[in-house]
Amino acid sequence: MNRPETRLPVEDLNIIVAGQGGDGSLTVINLLATVLQQSGLKVYTERDVLSRIKGGLTSATLRAFKGDRYCIGGHIDLLMAFDPDAIEKRAKQLAAGSIVIYDNSGGDIREGLLDPDVRVYGAPFARQAVKSFRRDLFKNSIGFAVAGRALGLADDFMRATFERRFARSGPQNLKYNLDALALGLALADELGMSAGHGLYEIVPTERHQRLLITGNDAAAFGFLAAGGRFFAGYPITPSTDVMEWLDKYIADFGGVVRQAEDELSAINMALGAALTGVRTMTATSGPGLSLMQEGIGQAGAAEIPLVVIDVQRGGPSTGLPTKPEQSDFDLMIFGGHGEFTRAVLAPGSTEDCFYLTALATELSQRYQMPIYVALDQALGQNSASVEPFDFSRVTVDNRPRYSAGEVAQRDIYKRYAFTENGVSPYTIPGTPDGMWLVTGNEHDEFGHVSAAPGNRKKQMDKRASKLVSMVPDLPRAGRYGDPTAKIGFIGVGLTYGTILEAMEALADHGIATQYFQPKTVWPVLDETLEFIASCDRVYVVEYNSTAQLAKLFVREGADGSKIENVLKYDGAVLQISELVAEVLSHEVAHYEREVNAA
Amino acid sequence: MTTTFTPSRPYWCAGCGDYGVLQALENGLRQLGIAAHEALVVAGIGCSGSLQNNLSCYGYHTLHGRVLPSCTGAKLANPELTVIGVGGDGDGYAIGGGHFMHTLKRNPSITYIVMNNATYGLTKGQPSPTSLNGFENNVEEDLDPVLLGLSMPGSTFLARGYTGQPAQLTRLVVEALRHAEAGKGFAYLEVLSPCVTYNDTYREWRTAVFDVEQDATYDPNDRAAVFARLLQCRAERRLPIGLLYRNEHPALESVALRKDNGPAALVDIDSALLKPRYEKLMQSLMR
Ligand SMILES: Cc1ncc(C[n+]2csc(CCOP(=O)(O)OP(=O)(O)O)c2C)c(N)n1
Ligand code: SF4
Ligand SMILES: [Mg+2]
Repeated sequence: MNRPETRLPVEDLNIIVAGQGGDGSLTVINLLATVLQQSGLKVYTERDVLSRIKGGLTSATLRAFKGDRYCIGGHIDLLMAFDPDAIEKRAKQLAAGSIVIYDNSGGDIREGLLDPDVRVYGAPFARQAVKSFRRDLFKNSIGFAVAGRALGLADDFMRATFERRFARSGPQNLKYNLDALALGLALADELGMSAGHGLYEIVPTERHQRLLITGNDAAAFGFLAAGGRFFAGYPITPSTDVMEWLDKYIADFGGVVRQAEDELSAINMALGAALTGVRTMTATSGPGLSLMQEGIGQAGAAEIPLVVIDVQRGGPSTGLPTKPEQSDFDLMIFGGHGEFTRAVLAPGSTEDCFYLTALATELSQRYQMPIYVALDQALGQNSASVEPFDFSRVTVDNRPRYSAGEVAQRDIYKRYAFTENGVSPYTIPGTPDGMWLVTGNEHDEFGHVSAAPGNRKKQMDKRASKLVSMVPDLPRAGRYGDPTAKIGFIGVGLTYGTILEAMEALADHGIATQYFQPKTVWPVLDETLEFIASCDRVYVVEYNSTAQLAKLFVREGADGSKIENVLKYDGAVLQISELVAEVLSHEVAHYEREVNAA
Repeated sequence: MTTTFTPSRPYWCAGCGDYGVLQALENGLRQLGIAAHEALVVAGIGCSGSLQNNLSCYGYHTLHGRVLPSCTGAKLANPELTVIGVGGDGDGYAIGGGHFMHTLKRNPSITYIVMNNATYGLTKGQPSPTSLNGFENNVEEDLDPVLLGLSMPGSTFLARGYTGQPAQLTRLVVEALRHAEAGKGFAYLEVLSPCVTYNDTYREWRTAVFDVEQDATYDPNDRAAVFARLLQCRAERRLPIGLLYRNEHPALESVALRKDNGPAALVDIDSALLKPRYEKLMQSLMR
């Protein structure tokens, strides 16, 4: 390998592992992510999969960097391909001087496909794996060794990582993987990549431990940390991880996870559980959220606390199950028949997923209503290095629940009592003399079904007033960039990292911007409208075709003429360069208009 | 003593079978000494779905068809509660039919009383899954939910009562409540509860019912024999009542919940107390 004179420190490294679905690209990326994070770098990983278990071109991408990045970069430094088709697909993204390592078991790649300055190494990973272990899957460990050498990872560092990673998969499997690693290292020698001569300076460090976690898992953890102890769900990509994470850990804390027969059952199991006082959540995506609408309305009307995570995917119908979209906001905010109170929180970073889900859990109790946490496929399933969670920032308070003692001190108890802030204290079954009637029919203060017009209006107004009284408790926006800039960005979920980097690029072009990252999407807070009012132009970046967020802001009083929509709904991830180009072209047009007018 | 809601008077038509079900349930709760504050009664949507308003227990009026998931969620969250589901045949076998099958399969220790009037009472007399072929232009065969229950391996208690035989009905309610209270699983009791207004079946059902408890040869523990007997009754247009089938199978809460855990609804979630344990879990996830 013609190696550089000095080995470079990693500043910003992008690695793709690609192959056919089931090839195990994700395993290799996860291993690399672990190693790179252990060497003190932050990492971000993304997967691009199809909704099937085997076959179809899939890939996983890893970005390792110093500083803060929340998305994949625009160029590739190292491409590892188990399938030569992946090289064809990615050829254009390869940076000058990048490395391509590929499995040539099925033949070599076409002459002239890649730029001459791309360094290409072919080796028969699959053939070796089958020959030595009778299993194709071990090609991942062989490939990992070659990629590790190219990057400059020390052999024993790789070995130690394998020992930890495969420790629990049984001694036989660990042995095979270690043997495969050794085989890969020998192959690397043959290719001229000897130990200690990789591209980068990557050394293990124990200095700073971080979590490498997905948004889904972080959200599940946030629920647990806020006292969440009951989860009912039905598997659906890309939200299933939330259920699976909780299933692993919640019982250690006295909690329960139940997989239901469908979403209708899941949401109603959740409601039944929530009535017993346990903090309850469900998580779903697109089609599941449609099925849950009646139940979420029930939570609103009957004032049952409930957290609903929607990991948005491409819709409508079955849509694009594994691709990100942000097209359920209208459903979350306006969905369900009739009018009821709900709030919608929207994380931007992986940390936000933890803190906002924890807050949603607390608020659902405090205000006795459904609270949505809106993720998207990318935020939910991509993983990022995050600082350890600060549990002291998570509040758990049993207000407004009445204990048996508190009930006993009262002459009268009414489940739906009219109160100043609209929240009626509740009791849990088992509490003597705290009995209630909870119902989604309109009801009086005791919970008796009532169609009396005066009472109806008062109960409607009471429930609606909670949306006002909760405002001080709702999370405020994250703010980034130049606070005096007249050009603003608004975006949630997976737009977060893209916007932040686009701002840097725009600053290089001499365009100052600021970014308002709303964490409460519904109700629309005054701060959102004030931000739009303070700018000359606001780019609202969202993954849908109808500008759901932008229209929401206008409906709530924002000046629509200030808003430029950046809409992405092709299932692909918005590239930083795309966003920069779009903003630049608008700004140029705007500038020309101003000059012409003058 | 604290005053809470006063149970309302039933709003059913005079002569509606549901009065008899309410009476039997009140008797059953009293006989077993189940305190009002320890029971959660979950009701569906329909004429039958107002029964919880006439008791003084904790009452939850769920969505149409969702009695069983609501009950299951509550029971799993707090197995110490007495959880009783009540609803109609439309609620339980049509819109909630899928849940019925899965609840039989899961076997949570809850009592479920279906007031079967073979019609949709509240929406004014449309055919339901248990309506006979020919009722109100119905061209489908009537469902026998007990036969469905027999085909589910997890079934542990399948019974049918008739409001025209109140003493037996109370006995069956007591048996059902006992089954669930003892943690033996899902106690399913269908009650033939005529709708005098839209499908007055008193006359037919009085002559059609066949009390298996009067038959010394009837063995409710023999699944195949019960199945054969029920098919025979069906061919003869008779309606078997009594405790029709009984079996043993682990209850959902006994296998789905961690053994040493108390009720999730009552577990201490004090964040200061648990912080070290959350930290520990986080440490195990760090790299
Ligand atoms: C989702 C939904 N669909 C339809 C209805 C209308 N609806 C109310 S009660 C009922 C049928 C009630 O029949 P059944 O369950 O047999 O109860 P009954 O009145 O006979 O006791 C229907 C269809 C509803 N409330 N919700
Ligand atoms: S309509 Fe039928 S089911 Fe409803 S209350 Fe009247 S008699 Fe009973
Ligand atoms: Mg009915």
